[in-house]
Amino acid sequence: MPEFLKGNYKVDARIEDKAASADSTDEFEKKALSRLGGSICFVSKKSLIWKGETDGAGTKDSQRA
Amino acid sequence: MELGRKIASALEAATFERVAGVGLANAERNHSRIARSVLEISETPLGAGEAAVVVGAGPSLHRRRSLERLRASGFAGTIVAADGALGACLRAGVVPHVVVSVDPHPERIVRWFGDPALRTAPADDYFRRQEMDPVQSLDELSANRALVELVDAYGPKIKVAAATSAAPAVVERCEQARMEIYWWNPMYDDYDKPGSLSRRLWKMNGLPCLNGGGNVGTAAWVLAHAVLGKRRVGLIGLDLGYAPGTPYEKTQYYPELRELLGDRYREAFIHTENPVTRETWFSDPAYHWFRDVFLEMARLADCETINCTEGGLLFGPGITTAPLDTFLETTASTARKDGHG
Repeated sequence: MPEFLKGNYKVDARIEDKAASADSTDEFEKKALSRLGGSICFVSKKSLIWKGETDGAGTKDSQRA
Repeated sequence: MELGRKIASALEAATFERVAGVGLANAERNHSRIARSVLEISETPLGAGEAAVVVGAGPSLHRRRSLERLRASGFAGTIVAADGALGACLRAGVVPHVVVSVDPHPERIVRWFGDPALRTAPADDYFRRQEMDPVQSLDELSANRALVELVDAYGPKIKVAAATSAAPAVVERCEQARMEIYWWNPMYDDYDKPGSLSRRLWKMNGLPCLNGGGNVGTAAWVLAHAVLGKRRVGLIGLDLGYAPGTPYEKTQYYPELRELLGDRYREAFIHTENPVTRETWFSDPAYHWFRDVFLEMARLADCETINCTEGGLLFGPGITTAPLDTFLETTASTARKDGHG
């Protein structure tokens, strides 16, 4: 906070930083949910196998996927 | 939306959160051991013809005596097993051509290969609690010793398709049992996006990335057709659900659901009737997500997928259901016609 905005008084009300609180809730949920996840990822809307890049010809997706 | 389905819808991101960090760390630790790509596996001796059986570790494997029936049939095609089903396969006299392992957990997964270092029953009740391998729930130490012997005896005949995320303890055990290891990367994210981890891994080791579908059983199915090129893939033990009457306390994610939801944990389970057996099986959010993912992948796959589990929750577009014996007879008859049966 800039120095010239600081008051010389104290307020009784406790002000919560809602953004920080929401962040920590999100973080808790994320961690809790991660324990329910699988042992390997699934990437939706992608091929079943990706063999890497060809020489300048883009990616080598499996034609089977 | 029901609680279980709501949680399931968040699991694609949650799984990334769970496995990406440790999976990448394991990829670096395994780097010096990588000698072969999984793409080389199709050039090695496998089963005959275009049919494969993928073996998962679900309860139908024991309920339907699927492995015993597979062995009795003299099935000549390729057998691909999830690591959790390896013990059941070997005890039933079925030696899979390929075993798939993906889970980065540092201690648990080596048990599926028999852990020679296990001296006392572990505090972790993961194996005792579940019925993925009922032998483990009786006497863990004896079961482990017997599995060590079986894997040592048959290891040289079995190829391991290991994800680079696999725990180093698993890799060491496979090497010790003289199993040939063929490597691949799990697909962690969209390889076309800037900063992709999948692309970073590919640049590091040159290995192909497989879309794993959330669990090792689905990864084994992906391998059977997208890598080995099998066109008729039968599934056994791939239930993606829990059998009727299974206590919630015996399910895979029970401790986590209890911790996350408290007394509301029961609301996370989803009950569904199998349209063939008319039994009501159930899933938790993870298995529900696995099922949704499998159905999405099955629609894209260029193979015929035949669910021969005779139970479970894997049914829908892209999947045919048939009794195991019918699949085996049809496969044998096709092989005779094609001259390799």
